[in-house]
Amino acid sequence: MSDRADLLQGTLDLLILKAILPAPLHGWGISKRIRELSYDVLQVNQGSLYPALYRLEDRGLVRSSWGISPEGRRAKFYTLNAAGKKKFAEEKANWRLFTNAVEQILHAT
Amino acid sequence: MNRAGIISRWQRRTTALFRRAALERDMAEEMRLHIAMEAEELARTRGLSNDESLRQARIAFGGAERFREEGRDARGTRWLDDLAGDARYAVRTLLRAPGFAIAAALTLGLGIGATTALFSVVHAALLEPLPFGDPAHTAVVWSGSYENAGSWMSYDEYELLTYEPHVFDAVGVYDIETKSVTGAGDPERVHAAQLSQKTLQVLGVAPMLGRDFLPEEDVPGANDVALIGYSFWQRHFGGDPSAVGKRIEVAGKQKVVIGVMPASFRMPLDYDERGATELLTPLAATDSEYEAIPGPAVAPGGGSHGLYAVAHLAPGVTIAQANREMDRVTRRLTDEGVYTGPTRFTMTVVPLREQISGSLRPALLILLGAVALVLVIACANVAGLLFVRGERRRRETSLRAVLGAARPRLARQFLTEGIVIAMVGGALGMFVAWMGVEATRAWAPRSLGLVSGVSLNLGVLAFALVTTIGTVLLFALAPTLAATRVSATETLKDGGRGATTGRARLRARQLMVIGEIALSVVLIVGGGLMIRTVQRIMSIDPGFRSEGVLTMELSVPASRYADDARIAGFFDELRHRVEGLPGVQRAGAARLLPLAARIGNWGLRIPGYTPPPGENAPGDWQIVTPGYFEAMGLHLVAGRLFEDRDRSGGAVVFVISQRMADKYFAGRDPIGANMQLTNDSAQIGTVIGVVRDVEHNGLTSATDPTFYAVHSQFHQSAQFTPRTMNLVVRTAGDPLALVRPVSEQVHALDPEIPIAHVRTMDDIVRSSIARQRFSMLLLGAFGGLALILAVVGIYGVVAQLVAARRQEFGVRAALGATPTALVRMSLFDGIQQTAVGLAIGTIAALLLTRLMQGMLYGVSPTDPVTFAVALLVTGAVAMAASYLPARRAGRVDPASALGAG
Repeated sequence: MSDRADLLQGTLDLLILKAILPAPLHGWGISKRIRELSYDVLQVNQGSLYPALYRLEDRGLVRSSWGISPEGRRAKFYTLNAAGKKKFAEEKANWRLFTNAVEQILHAT
Repeated sequence: MNRAGIISRWQRRTTALFRRAALERDMAEEMRLHIAMEAEELARTRGLSNDESLRQARIAFGGAERFREEGRDARGTRWLDDLAGDARYAVRTLLRAPGFAIAAALTLGLGIGATTALFSVVHAALLEPLPFGDPAHTAVVWSGSYENAGSWMSYDEYELLTYEPHVFDAVGVYDIETKSVTGAGDPERVHAAQLSQKTLQVLGVAPMLGRDFLPEEDVPGANDVALIGYSFWQRHFGGDPSAVGKRIEVAGKQKVVIGVMPASFRMPLDYDERGATELLTPLAATDSEYEAIPGPAVAPGGGSHGLYAVAHLAPGVTIAQANREMDRVTRRLTDEGVYTGPTRFTMTVVPLREQISGSLRPALLILLGAVALVLVIACANVAGLLFVRGERRRRETSLRAVLGAARPRLARQFLTEGIVIAMVGGALGMFVAWMGVEATRAWAPRSLGLVSGVSLNLGVLAFALVTTIGTVLLFALAPTLAATRVSATETLKDGGRGATTGRARLRARQLMVIGEIALSVVLIVGGGLMIRTVQRIMSIDPGFRSEGVLTMELSVPASRYADDARIAGFFDELRHRVEGLPGVQRAGAARLLPLAARIGNWGLRIPGYTPPPGENAPGDWQIVTPGYFEAMGLHLVAGRLFEDRDRSGGAVVFVISQRMADKYFAGRDPIGANMQLTNDSAQIGTVIGVVRDVEHNGLTSATDPTFYAVHSQFHQSAQFTPRTMNLVVRTAGDPLALVRPVSEQVHALDPEIPIAHVRTMDDIVRSSIARQRFSMLLLGAFGGLALILAVVGIYGVVAQLVAARRQEFGVRAALGATPTALVRMSLFDGIQQTAVGLAIGTIAALLLTRLMQGMLYGVSPTDPVTFAVALLVTGAVAMAASYLPARRAGRVDPASALGAG
């Protein structure tokens, strides 16, 4: 379990930030959204998701507040703040750089 | 991250800490929500039942414990959270097993405390810098015959040292005396020294204020300057620098203060009962005064011996070379006929460090070795205790691992437990160290020199703390890691049979316990031998009765007591007045008190006794007033004691000791025989009585022939009357209750007379064997300490064996072994180790106690009674320590041992 979390460490943050970019979501919502957006390829383990959320909150990139979910339940919603948005832009650029580099290596002959 | 970010982050963390409970609730709720949503989703998409979807959601979510911990981790508050929780948990579990906690803390405390205290003592005695300029190359030079190597120098021998041997670049000589100082506040008796001009330079010390003596001040007639000690300066001048240039009256003579010595100043021989020298004056010696021949020549017999010599080695010369040179010089003098008689004359060069604490060195180093061992043992014991504990808690550890607790988290919790033990043990250790140092200060006799100035050595305390606590933490962790590494299901399933028994480790610990028992035997034998020695010494008849006797030293000044009659008159009048006090049985006075000051001898002419060629008939000279014998409780053997009719101008009378009667009056009646001091104008006297020998120079030293002369008559034998006498008062009650009334009588006679050294004879006797008593206490304490550590060690090992063999005992119990049989089986291990330890200890003690020979008296180093008692005590205690954990074997429940481990 923990092995995969480590592997996803950098990307998981990016995915979470992307998931809550349009609108605040609760934990389960984030995991569902990531699953949907990736067409069920990426399954975010909750053992990694919540610690990641708390970590992002600790770093001051997301804010959390209690509210009522669309399903009518009391849930904790995570919102991206200004620092989080900036961080997302940075992380996205980094990711592009990284994947392009890997692509080039793989395409090299 | 920028600074503001860091601050706000810590703010959030702090809030998180304070709102811990609320956050925990949040987390739990979030977890419940997540599982519920997941379950709904599963029910909707896969058409599962509610129960089944909930179950699968829970499985998908994973361990709740882990979720909580990782959540705390991510919030950055976890470590603090855990620390508080672990500390609470540790204290709770430790309290549930108080035996373990007490044993561990006690072991740590004693190990740390004993090591620190003893090392502090060693440091004070052997390592603390001496207050001399170049102590390593400065030495005291003694003169003596082969049977009495450390004795006074003569002035002639000192002069020779300045000419002949080229091993010294400077030599000094001095004399010591107690002197009365008046004219600067209260009259007082102070320790004084008269120095040859170079003495302070030899010692490498200088006044902190003012100046050293000038060569022209060290000549007869110019003797009117003085240097004063620091505390004298404080007492009499309140530390005022203008004291330099002021006048003080020393023994009735005016002296100008030319300087003040630093607070650390001591003469080389001040590290004993005497205390610091506080008044220095020039020796201003003349050759005739000391019966010396000017220049390098030495008078027959070396002249009058009564001085102390110090010397600084020339560059590149070693102590051994200096001593060889001394040998050569004294052999030449003997060959030239300067020294005659059967005794071989020697001079010995003793470096300052050895002079001051040399006699303690071997004992201290042996104890230091023992104490280092004690520290190692303490570490090993605690490690063993923690190991046993880790072993016992394997099940708990495994269970928690299965429930999802992370391994580092568990390890950290055991570590916290170690920290709690270490903190308690460390605090206890500091307390023991402090107690040890305070006890040493209180108990160490002043004659042990630098030891009585011991202070807690913080460096060593830190070292001991770090060593032991490091051990605790290491071993708190090691078994935990071993335990958690074991596959959790494995341990739970079959109890992890044989998983971490660690035969090799156990063997090492068994060896350690054997060593501990052996060490206990050695130390207890040592302590026991010292107890027997002190008992033997205390049972020696000193020749007087010490109980109920008060003494004080009085000295009359030359200015107001110019002639013999006045001096003697003062002491006669005083003793009559004191005898009139209620409660006083008898009072008298003596030149020197037995066991308080060494007595020297005076040559005698005894008609009817022919001494060997080149010798005379020496007798230790004691001068007393009538009443002294009765007050001191000496035992009359024949004839009569001094009475008031034996006074100045009358017929000279002597009382002699039994040994003198035996030696010089062998085969004839000494009463009525004649005797005379070997001075030119000494009157011939008559022996009127014989008293039993007094152990004057020490209870265990040889007693020499002694004669007693009447104080008021002594000028008829030697043309002077001692000014300094010790008043001796016997009472049926408490002698200290007489201090006030007796002092009042002294001051009623003369308010200017200083009173010094107010002591009871019981005190004097006690302090005369202070070294033996101190060794007894030290060895006894360490013996006890070693025994406690051995108890903890053997307890730990037997407990570990029992724990490791639980399954085996379970099987045996299931097959019908009785609890008694099981207890006996596990007790056997303890017995084996105890027996081997006792055997090794006995052999080691037989070898080592021989080193103590010099410290023992009246008891052989292989005293069978001491050995028997030591073995019995150690053996019994070790057995008791093995029995406690062995009982556990009898309580093993076959079902639980087999089924669950």
